[in-house]
Amino acid sequence: MNPVVTVVDLHTDITLRKGVVHPVGGVNFIVREGESLGIVGESGCGKTMTALSIMRLLPPGGKIVSGSIALGDVNLTALDEAGMRKVRGNRIGMIFQDPMTSLNPCLTIGDQVSETVLLHREVTREQARERAAEVLDLVGLPHARERMNSYPHLLSGGMRQRVVIAMALACEPELLIADEPTTALDATIQKQILELIDDLRRRLGMAVILVTHDLGVIAGHTDRVAVMYAGKIVETSPTPELFANPRHPYTEALFRARPENVDPDRRLYAIPGLPPDLSDPPRGCRFAVRCAYATDECRAQEPELTASNHSFACFHPLDSKQQVAPNPPTPLATTQQAAPVLEVRNLVREFPVTSNGVLQRKIGAISAVADVSFTVSAEETFGLVGESGCGKSTVSRLLVAADTPTSGSIIFDGVEITGKSNRELRKYRGNFQLMFQDPYASLDPRMRVGSILREPLVIQHRGSTVEQENTVVRLLDEVGLPRTAVHQYPHEFSGGQRQRIGLARALALRPKLIVADEPVSALDVSVQAQILNLMRDLQREHQLTYVFISHDLSVVRYVATTIGVMYLGKLVEIGPAEQVYTAAVHPYTRGLIDTIPLADPERERHKIKAGVRGELPPAMNPPSGCRFRTRCPRASDKCAAEQPPMVPFSEQGHRAACHHPLRSPIPLLPSTHTGAAPTTPATE
Amino acid sequence: MTGFITRRLLQSLVVVLLVTVIVFILLHLLPGGPARAQLGPRATPTAIAHFNHQMGYDRPVPIQYWDWLIQLATGNLGFSTQFNQSVVSLIAERLPKTLVLTILSVIFALAVAIPLGILQAVKRNHITDYAITFWAFVFYATPSFFLGVVLIVVFSVYLPILPAEAPQSSSIGVILSQPGGLILPVATLALLTIAQFSRYMRSSVIENLAEDYVRTARAKGADERTVLVHHVLRNSLIPIATLLGLSLPTIFSGALITEAVFNFPGMGQLFWTAAQTQDYPIMLGITVLIGVVTVIGSLLADLAYAVLDPRVRFA
Repeated sequence: MNPVVTVVDLHTDITLRKGVVHPVGGVNFIVREGESLGIVGESGCGKTMTALSIMRLLPPGGKIVSGSIALGDVNLTALDEAGMRKVRGNRIGMIFQDPMTSLNPCLTIGDQVSETVLLHREVTREQARERAAEVLDLVGLPHARERMNSYPHLLSGGMRQRVVIAMALACEPELLIADEPTTALDATIQKQILELIDDLRRRLGMAVILVTHDLGVIAGHTDRVAVMYAGKIVETSPTPELFANPRHPYTEALFRARPENVDPDRRLYAIPGLPPDLSDPPRGCRFAVRCAYATDECRAQEPELTASNHSFACFHPLDSKQQVAPNPPTPLATTQQAAPVLEVRNLVREFPVTSNGVLQRKIGAISAVADVSFTVSAEETFGLVGESGCGKSTVSRLLVAADTPTSGSIIFDGVEITGKSNRELRKYRGNFQLMFQDPYASLDPRMRVGSILREPLVIQHRGSTVEQENTVVRLLDEVGLPRTAVHQYPHEFSGGQRQRIGLARALALRPKLIVADEPVSALDVSVQAQILNLMRDLQREHQLTYVFISHDLSVVRYVATTIGVMYLGKLVEIGPAEQVYTAAVHPYTRGLIDTIPLADPERERHKIKAGVRGELPPAMNPPSGCRFRTRCPRASDKCAAEQPPMVPFSEQGHRAACHHPLRSPIPLLPSTHTGAAPTTPATE
Repeated sequence: MTGFITRRLLQSLVVVLLVTVIVFILLHLLPGGPARAQLGPRATPTAIAHFNHQMGYDRPVPIQYWDWLIQLATGNLGFSTQFNQSVVSLIAERLPKTLVLTILSVIFALAVAIPLGILQAVKRNHITDYAITFWAFVFYATPSFFLGVVLIVVFSVYLPILPAEAPQSSSIGVILSQPGGLILPVATLALLTIAQFSRYMRSSVIENLAEDYVRTARAKGADERTVLVHHVLRNSLIPIATLLGLSLPTIFSGALITEAVFNFPGMGQLFWTAAQTQDYPIMLGITVLIGVVTVIGSLLADLAYAVLDPRVRFA
């Protein structure tokens, strides 16, 4: 097959005020017709800059300093700006990470897609719109023709990403560059988008470059992989070969940091440290400082990529997976049958929707949480999973009394906290704390870390100034940050370090319960492993109970002892983590598990067309009966008519609400489940 | 949308009413009063008492306010003994001239400030940007009465190409037929507005140029002109619309001062005269008018927001 794009010894620099950064330092690869190349690595390894170099859309100060990029027989590096404009959108299409921001909010999607056509083809406005409708239909936007005049904000994230793909494909480019195209999307939507890109690649015979930090995404959707570290490709091979036999220690480390195959009683492997500062890359092998196998040779000399179909740049390559020592065990808190710390009973939260008239009458309600009940035992980790919009975050706010439920009750440590005034609640608040998702937005940028950590103590009048300062130092020690951090500002830290600050803040008041809302979803897999290990250690040391909210079932399976699955405000399945994960009974849970991208090309291939299809319906006027029925392959008339009750499926408290479960429930034995929540008949 | 506008208008009514209460009280707290101002410093206490009784100024303030409010509801703003004319007809005669001044200056200011802001954003941190920024700050920091005098000195005294005084006529047609006389007052008002708006436009465009959708547009192969005109312009105008609506009353009151400098026979002159003679009906009338302009300005800002930004839905 003919090469579509050939990159030879590409070097890209970005000149900033403080110096020159070298994000791409000598990258070579070829992508052929119909082939898909995955570029994988941590943030800051030059993956995106490589992609942007091909498009020549580098950020201000960015410049290709040497090397060549050939598209077919055209040398892109020799083209002037006008020449490049004829290539962009025409011969190379590009998809970006965040579909929420990559569309112009003020233009209709029809206009935005037809713009690509108008820019590159000699067509009338009508012809361009006709083509736009065709492409929107091709990318699977339902009712594409009627939606031409819609503005982006009316579409969901997944639909917006389809529009972005349509813009990139409108002129049938030879090469499609997808830069983290699904990182901002739910796993269910991610699977659909990746399958769409695969399908289009086959139908249109395009070459695809898929940039991602997720080895799971690479496994099922690429032919070749290039692993990038610190601006260089350190290993490249056909996808199955790389997954079967990774040779570079960095590749291996990326695999080992993934929680999907790690037993809950083992520690996750966390790559120590961070990728190097690329304004001054280290001598020798750039991975040496973080590498477990590094020798003096590695630090003195730079290894070359070997010349073969599976090439790697390492003096001490790994021979096979068997060589890897198992992860060290982590002592688990033994909590079985402990007293409940948190009891949630028939929790309901509705947000009123008002009319547009003068009086703004209430005309309906968004049902965010609908009759959710569960119990969390002391020192356990309760994992709550579901797609965006299923009500998990609303539950998290209700649990820490940051929001008031419409009805139902929350009992914390024997005390009913619903219905208490803010003044009364104040003395309880120290017992339950929140940890947030976004380490960038959840810390006040104008407060020093010392003040951030002291603030909870000041508010709750805990101790004298000196005692508070001692507590801050102890907290920093506990989360593994240097004591000098007290005088620094949040922006001086990396994402993982900031999440440690967030954890330290949550710990400041010595709470019994920490509600962590997506605490690792903004982090790289290596940093994610560090934070998860840390959370585990602190749980054991301080007898903490966690409610761990995440859309990522593979993370929840690893950290949680009990898993609750939410769908559109309802709890559909709950039970011991291992049972829910390996023997799910609700079709939704099963579908969610199937959408998790696994770092295993063989298993990925078998999962095609499995998983939850479609999108979450709006929470205003949710479907009658079982709310999942509109996306369920097993739905019957009964599902529309009747709400399924929660019934037990094991004696350890595995329960689900489904009329057509994947296996039959056990006969009701009410005396056996003590640790789990009371069975809640669906009465509304 | 209609529900939103109705609701906003009702709220505005309350705001305007509160403004009148405050102004009414403040006016009656002023020492002297209209009698002294109109009858002269040597008027006898009897004459003053007679005048006050005749005008009803000796009644309790709440009753006077209630009377005035009832009159206002019927569209009557009172009678100015000094001009021997009803306040409504006085305002009707002068308001169009002030509006001409205000509207012309706003249009001119926007026509200059928007392209200027875009130019600065595109050439940011270059010499062009710095030069425009320098002049913007100079004009921004200059009070309008001083700027007006400077313009008169330059364009009417040194280079006598423009008249120093606005056309004097009670008819709007006559004023419009002598556009030369309008240039300096309009320029005085506009320069300040340009200075302010170009700053906002500059930062708004810079902000939008860094947005992801701009990168998407470039990835489609759009040239910089298309990116600016087709994508960035409309998004950048959203904050400007809000700013314009909120600064409408400022520009309007700025016009009052500028009118004094150029002896322009508009609302400013009327207000000045009324203030000197403590002519309650005129001052109240003009204050109510400015209150209404303020309220309309912010309503227009919200409506412009909705037109420019499809994400805004009123609820």
